[in-house]
Amino acid sequence: MKHRNSYLIVFSIVIFIALLCMHLFFMQQGNYTDEDLIFWEFKVPRLLSAILAGAGLSLSGLLMQNLFQNPMAGPYVLGINSGASMFMALLLLGITPTFNDLSYVGGAMIGAFVSAILMFVISKRVQNMQSLLVIGLMLASFMGAFESVLQTFAAPEQIKQLYIWNMGSLQQLSAAQAPWFALIVLIGIALSLWVVKGLNALIVGEFHANQLGISVPKVRMLILFVTALLAGSTTAFCGPIAFVGLAIPNLARALLKTQDHLILILFTVFIGSSFLLAIDILILVLDPWMGLPLNVLTAVFGAPYVAYLMLKKK
Amino acid sequence: MIVFENTIIGHHQPLISIESLSLQTGAIYALIGRNGAGKSSLLHTMTGHVAALAGHIYINGHEVHTFQKNSKLRAEQIAFVTSIFTGVEVLTLKAYVSLGRIPYLGALGRMRTLDHQIVDAALEQLNIAHLASSYTNQLSDGERQLASLARAFVQDTPLLILDEPTSFLDIFNKKLLVEQLQRWVASKANRTVILSSHDLDNCLEQGCFTLVLANKKIKLIEAPSKDEVLEQLEE
Repeated sequence: MKHRNSYLIVFSIVIFIALLCMHLFFMQQGNYTDEDLIFWEFKVPRLLSAILAGAGLSLSGLLMQNLFQNPMAGPYVLGINSGASMFMALLLLGITPTFNDLSYVGGAMIGAFVSAILMFVISKRVQNMQSLLVIGLMLASFMGAFESVLQTFAAPEQIKQLYIWNMGSLQQLSAAQAPWFALIVLIGIALSLWVVKGLNALIVGEFHANQLGISVPKVRMLILFVTALLAGSTTAFCGPIAFVGLAIPNLARALLKTQDHLILILFTVFIGSSFLLAIDILILVLDPWMGLPLNVLTAVFGAPYVAYLMLKKK
Repeated sequence: MIVFENTIIGHHQPLISIESLSLQTGAIYALIGRNGAGKSSLLHTMTGHVAALAGHIYINGHEVHTFQKNSKLRAEQIAFVTSIFTGVEVLTLKAYVSLGRIPYLGALGRMRTLDHQIVDAALEQLNIAHLASSYTNQLSDGERQLASLARAFVQDTPLLILDEPTSFLDIFNKKLLVEQLQRWVASKANRTVILSSHDLDNCLEQGCFTLVLANKKIKLIEAPSKDEVLEQLEE
């Protein structure tokens, strides 16, 4: 069992590197002239975007599933993305007119944090999974509606910008933002590794985790904070991307058959990155025929898998 | 050693009052009382999860209400087994029992050779070594109850508190449980077990000290007869 998991982690790293190389290769095939400037200004940010968004969303999904003690939790279904999205729209339509500002990232994180806390408080009142998911959807559509109301006050140019952003894209990250995004995701991974013991104990419930010497409120706050950090920043830089955060951690548990969060975190990060790299390669390959938005493809692969998980659970 | 001083236990309303009581180390105490007498409330107050209405409880010199803020200190002093564990998907029995070692592990939660040895020994003692790689959500209630007990053993604390530890066990495992508890208490100095139980016969057969909970009071009886206990309960 131990060896099998080590192999699977090595395997996930190999796949990750292979997809990274393929991604670079397919970007070379595009219509760009092969200049250094284009490489650093467009190709590297797009590559990093796929890697960081995949890792960030998957890891935030894993953390939320632990916190909510519910394998169907994730940043998208519980309205965390929507919170980030609404706060961004609020900033975009209200205060400053350009997208390339780190204040949006801050706004998105605050939005993600607010909805994460709200959902967590609600989850204490409703114990069953289905109700929680329905409330998450309600929160998401409420925030979506609020966003639409805001849009009526917006200029057509801003509405277009918001619309494109809402489709999800790996091409919005600028070279100047890339290091920030990388830093945020790395901090998120480091903080998650720091509370591995707490995550492992929490799978048997808060009472028993407490019994095992874990300071549950501290770990809980940290999970909410890291979730907001990861889901908020990803939403800010790439738009609300669906299904990745929910599907990838479930895939990791199904393959690894472990609840050891050190292994789960590492595997989830690499497989999550690989998944978005693969999706983006598909977008690059299909580009001459059709320009598919990111969210369409994550839903094509993610939605059936999530439905399958639901059916398997009965 | 466990000391009660003018302790009043209950939720909002007093349920039990204990003027003065001290429990010695090296013994197994069986807490016996009728439904609603406050056995669970007493145990949850002793572990610091519920605050006492008045008075003090000390466990090896630590006042238990400090555990509420300091769960690390509690994990060093008390291993507490409640009867509810329904299992977790893809969590193996051994991984579950290993959680008891968490207070001893480094930041990344890696088990060392010693930790593995301690866990394996506990699995052997409770006859569940053959289930080590089974998933906890696929075990029977009784097997999970033994696993919870193993988890408490490997936590290696001076005080072991068990709430209804035999509720799902068959007659052979009930006997095994008491034997292993006696072994556990004897194998290291300063160890104490407190268990709540409705299984009067088993407790008396093994010659446990008995804490009878009746009429909002606790009475400590050493090696009583069944009639004595029943009389106390009915009063």
